[in-house]
Amino acid sequence: MSEYILELKGVTKTFPGVKALDDVHFQLKSGEIHALMGENGAGKSTFIKIITGVHQPDEGEIYLNGQKVDINNPRDAQKLGIAAIYQHVTCYPDLSVTENIFMGHEKIKKGTNRLLWNEMHSEAQKLLDELGATFDPKTRMGELSVAQQQIVEIAKALSTNAKIIIMDEPTASLTKSESEELYRITEKLRNNGTSIIFISHRLEDMYRLANRVTVFRDSKYIGTWEVNEISNEELIVAMVGREITQMFPKKEAKIGEEILRVEKLGKIGFFKDISFTLHKGEILGLTGLVGSGRTEVCQAIFGITSPDEGKIIFEGKEVKIDHPLQAMNLGIGYLPEDRQKQGLVLEWSIEKNITLPALDKVSHKGWLDKEKEVEIAQALAKKVNVKAKSIYDLANSLSGGNQQKVVVAKLLTADLKVIIVDEPTKGVDVGAKSAILEIMSDLASQGYGIIMVSSEMPEVLGMSDRIIVMREGRITAQLSREEASQEIILEAAMTKKRSVNTA
Amino acid sequence: MENTDLTAEKNFDLKSFFFQWEWVLVLILIIVNFINTYLSPYYLNTYTLLDATMTFLDKAFIVLPMTFVIIFGDIDISVGSTVALSSVVMAVAYNLGMPMSLAIIICLLVGTVCGMINGLLIVKFKELSAVIVTLSTMTLYRGIAYTILEDQAAGGFPEWFTFPGWGYVKGIPFILIVFTIFAIIFALLLHRTTFGRQVYAIGNNAVASRYSGVQVNKIKFIVFTLAGFMSAIAALFLTSRMGSTRPNVALGYELDVIAMVVLGGVSTSGGKGRIIGTILSIFIVGYLRYGLGLINVPAQVILIIIGLLLIFAVMVPNLEKYFKRKKTKKAF
Repeated sequence: MSEYILELKGVTKTFPGVKALDDVHFQLKSGEIHALMGENGAGKSTFIKIITGVHQPDEGEIYLNGQKVDINNPRDAQKLGIAAIYQHVTCYPDLSVTENIFMGHEKIKKGTNRLLWNEMHSEAQKLLDELGATFDPKTRMGELSVAQQQIVEIAKALSTNAKIIIMDEPTASLTKSESEELYRITEKLRNNGTSIIFISHRLEDMYRLANRVTVFRDSKYIGTWEVNEISNEELIVAMVGREITQMFPKKEAKIGEEILRVEKLGKIGFFKDISFTLHKGEILGLTGLVGSGRTEVCQAIFGITSPDEGKIIFEGKEVKIDHPLQAMNLGIGYLPEDRQKQGLVLEWSIEKNITLPALDKVSHKGWLDKEKEVEIAQALAKKVNVKAKSIYDLANSLSGGNQQKVVVAKLLTADLKVIIVDEPTKGVDVGAKSAILEIMSDLASQGYGIIMVSSEMPEVLGMSDRIIVMREGRITAQLSREEASQEIILEAAMTKKRSVNTA
Repeated sequence: MENTDLTAEKNFDLKSFFFQWEWVLVLILIIVNFINTYLSPYYLNTYTLLDATMTFLDKAFIVLPMTFVIIFGDIDISVGSTVALSSVVMAVAYNLGMPMSLAIIICLLVGTVCGMINGLLIVKFKELSAVIVTLSTMTLYRGIAYTILEDQAAGGFPEWFTFPGWGYVKGIPFILIVFTIFAIIFALLLHRTTFGRQVYAIGNNAVASRYSGVQVNKIKFIVFTLAGFMSAIAALFLTSRMGSTRPNVALGYELDVIAMVVLGGVSTSGGKGRIIGTILSIFIVGYLRYGLGLINVPAQVILIIIGLLLIFAVMVPNLEKYFKRKKTKKAF
């Protein structure tokens, strides 16, 4: 019997155009909580998908209890006792908790294939009791909170007798007290002998829970440390690979006159009393936890949804924006959060994607001018430095970072004055990340007003001239670049406080 | 910082050029004509080939806008009923004493309004899919046609109204000329204009299109309205050819039309396909029916053959994917 319950040696995985994992090593001891850290795009998700059999490695070996194993599909992983719990819970909201727990491995009576409901309900109840959950297994999944749904996912993992549980950013959308509850459950699982790989961006998660930490960067294995033997600074250097200040190419920009102001904007169930101003040349950071209403505010300004109350004032005039086209005609652009679903037509070439928001510029009276289209698309793709062979390459053949650059290029086709970027560097590798931030910084110094929605604290602190923090649909703090700090922002994002009005 | 490697060169690949679905269709069209020639000594001459088009081109007018609808990933199954309703209203209007030219305008108006109603319902009620909306209006429009005319026929049109269905201009059937004009217009609209580009964008990713400023609702509304208008055009030619009309004309047209579009290589999941493909498939299905009819093959058997052809058409892209996957698996 090996010291390690799970061991990966020299695992490499290549996707068309990108090396997602490059000679990666990993060792998980039996009964430990092992933190896996790294920036977005460091290869963590690919790593999980290899362990859970979604992808197969091109090179390298996986050992389970010292035995070499092949994990060809998620079923194999389940049989081997490996389960994963994802950040976005993948449940069936209209089915009961019991059905969700036993999905795929229902208890059935041999011969007649009848579902053994009573057995499943009582087993589910037992699992939930063990985890300290108070809801009934017959509850509809959709009625539960995200935290409760995660408990169901954990129960599901336990019901398959998982010996190794991978948790992918489980605390990302939890409140502080819910996170505490999750820590308690995780520790309990460990005490019962389960080994846990815990993936998180939050340093506090790691300090609170993990025995050891492994860091990936740029698809490569960087190292493994005992948690109490590595300092905060060392860990950040390991993750980022250089001094963090270089990540944010913020230029000093002259802040000009007001260009956009929202007053008491509200949408029932999403946000209320949102008031702020944006000036030319300014980068306004908009942060808060996922679900705090940041995206919804931006979508209301861009005309994706319409607000129930309040005013939007653009260049001194009150405007009503019912459709993105109106926003774009005014000069407001939006870089959506989900580039694959909202930003790109994946099966289209780079060139057609870039010109989609500006078809009237590449046409005469409705007739497409292909030469002009190529000219504009090529110029913009070069400007944002898309790495591809030709502008006729399909968007889905590009890496996340290059896809994002194409979405940025789409913005540049229009004559904009205000650009709203929603999580501009989510899932983007380090190189593309600083390239995208550099473009933003350039745009600001050219006089654009920029609203940047971001969950990444260093990015918000590094790039913004002013920072607005939201919590549960309300603004809880407005800070200048000088007065902002990680602690103040976190406090405003997580704890109740009275809403602050615009100065 | 600028990336100078980024070219604007298309990789012209001879293999993928010839592996396009349209070539398969050309091949099928040739085979169909070959078989027809072999089966009937009267088949292969210019006169027959041109004349045959008069028997099937009425539906073809609806195939053109249906291509747009299916590129959206939607479907319109009310077109057959729209044909019936516009035809019936035209006949009744004429029989009430209106001049024929006015009756024709009314026919076109009725079809257009039917299409507008579909478009409006689909755009306004997002939770209803196009299938459900047009299923309802299919029943509705047909029901109105029955209410107006009950189970009777209406006709007695003026002599000149036989021209659209039966007439020739310099030896070429009038319907073929009109269809060619419409086909060119629709092909240009889809492939050469910003409107067509936006139709494809919506079919591929409606959400991203909206975020890019495409007026998804407006474009969908226009396309469904066009489908209604073209159904009325089809009604004109059909009524002219038959000389009279009944509430049950054009039964099952929607299925024929959809079948032609799918055979033409337009993916029902949206975003793909070209007008040239659907035009080829109109002629494939048309000549197949005509040829088999010449040698008295029963209509039911013809249906079986067309059904098989359709299964083949739907299967081929999947086969291609299947083989590609096998290949990539081996490569790793």
